[in-house]
Amino acid sequence: MIVAENVEKRFRDVEVLKRVNLRVEPGEVVTILGASGSGKSTLIRCINGLETLSGGKITVDGHDVSTKAGLVAARRASATVFQLFNLYPHMTALQNITLAPVEVLKLPKTDAEARARALLDRVGLSAQADAYPQQLSGGQRQRVGICRALAMQPRYLLLDEVTSALDPEMTGDVLRILAALAAEGTTMVFVTHEIEFARHISSRIVFLEQGELIVDLPTAKFFAEDGGLAVPRIRQFLSKMKKD
Amino acid sequence: MRYADFTPYDIILLLQGLGVTLALFVGTTLIGLFLGLLLAIVHHYRIPGCRPVIVVVTEALKNSPVLVQLFLVFFGIPAFLHIRMTPVEAATLTISLNTAAFAFVVFRSGIESIDRDQIEAAKVFGLGRSQILRLVIAPQAAAFAVGPLVGILVNQLQVTSLISVIGVFDLTKIGNILNLRTLQPFIVWAVIGLIYYLAAKALAHAGGRIEAALRKSVKWGGI
Ligand SMILES: Nc1ncnc2c1ncn2[C@@H]1O[C@H](COP(=O)(O)OP(=O)(O)OP(=O)(O)O)[C@@H](O)[C@H]1O
Ligand SMILES: [Mg+2]
Repeated sequence: MIVAENVEKRFRDVEVLKRVNLRVEPGEVVTILGASGSGKSTLIRCINGLETLSGGKITVDGHDVSTKAGLVAARRASATVFQLFNLYPHMTALQNITLAPVEVLKLPKTDAEARARALLDRVGLSAQADAYPQQLSGGQRQRVGICRALAMQPRYLLLDEVTSALDPEMTGDVLRILAALAAEGTTMVFVTHEIEFARHISSRIVFLEQGELIVDLPTAKFFAEDGGLAVPRIRQFLSKMKKD
Repeated sequence: MRYADFTPYDIILLLQGLGVTLALFVGTTLIGLFLGLLLAIVHHYRIPGCRPVIVVVTEALKNSPVLVQLFLVFFGIPAFLHIRMTPVEAATLTISLNTAAFAFVVFRSGIESIDRDQIEAAKVFGLGRSQILRLVIAPQAAAFAVGPLVGILVNQLQVTSLISVIGVFDLTKIGNILNLRTLQPFIVWAVIGLIYYLAAKALAHAGGRIEAALRKSVKWGGI
């Protein structure tokens, strides 16, 4: 379980997260919605330890990310897929995927490679195992990014706008893979602007408004007239997203 | 045979001079590259207080004449600290530091050329500092650095000729001796120049091969 309690984050004196509370149980897909600049990425980066908290506490399966040992354990429990893929450009797709399993999980190289090939096969990239990121399209790179995360066999997947750098066709490929993962019961914390997709795969939706988590509802309730849509700010956000 | 004639023994003299030049060059290159790399790593990790010192010292080394640095080390430091220093020690120290300053700049930009994003990815996947340095930063920084480093080293090879001034018996010093004896400056300096030229060409060629090999193993087309 991921638990965020009264999480605060300030950059200098700008408050970016204000007493945010969030719980993600195993098996849930929790989508974080919110306008640009509302703090979605920052929240993800606080969970995976790329930002240090200014206040409050985050634990992943009980491991406090603000302690050194806790962060190591928390990072083993979760894996991140990045908006801009963040692949290692000097390594092939296969090497990108096997690096952490070999170096961090200490898996034998052959096992790690077998695992990586199975994942590449699953996302339709078995022919691209030895290609370098530069030789792949955006959609293919992101699929490698997903394989790299899955190769760690994480209990939680953290995804921050993983399709927003892709064109619509490629977005579809990536979203299909994520939907299949969700259907298998993979726990995900998901930041996206793909509202329809979020509605389709999420168990819960939370809404960030200028660093405050103002709504946390089961998906159906979030899109109901007497639920999320009753909040003017959310109604406004959703209608704006539909127009775009 | 008159005293002023060229003799077969002069070839041995030249080879000895070349040997001293190359030994000094190789020695100072190894020390200089190691030191430059160390400085770049210290600089990268923002070890408190080190950054300004590194920047000031390397800037001073890059922007003052090597001959002046050599005089400072050979005459100045022994006088100031009341120690003895042989010409070879002074030459080794000066050229090593000088090479380190230039190598530092190349290694630093090599490290800085690497996208922070990938380093964040490596961190999130649980890799430690030294693993990131070794597996993510180093291979990319090396491929970036080889070309400029070869250029710098070819230049440093020429710079070693300055050490003849403080009495190291390098190739240039041998040239001086032959010149004084034979009074044939045109022939002597043309031959000395040619030897430097051939050594530099061989070095550039070797560097080119290393670069090609590195880029083949890192053929991601970037940089
Ligand atoms: N390293 C930083 N230093 C200073 N301010 C930052 C930093 N990172 C983020 N911010 C600020 O924090 C706020 C929230 O940023 P964040 O990236 O979390 O928003 P977001 O909800 O992910 O937006 P988007 O939908 O555009 O990705 C923004 O105002 C941003 O300018
Ligand atoms: Mg963001």
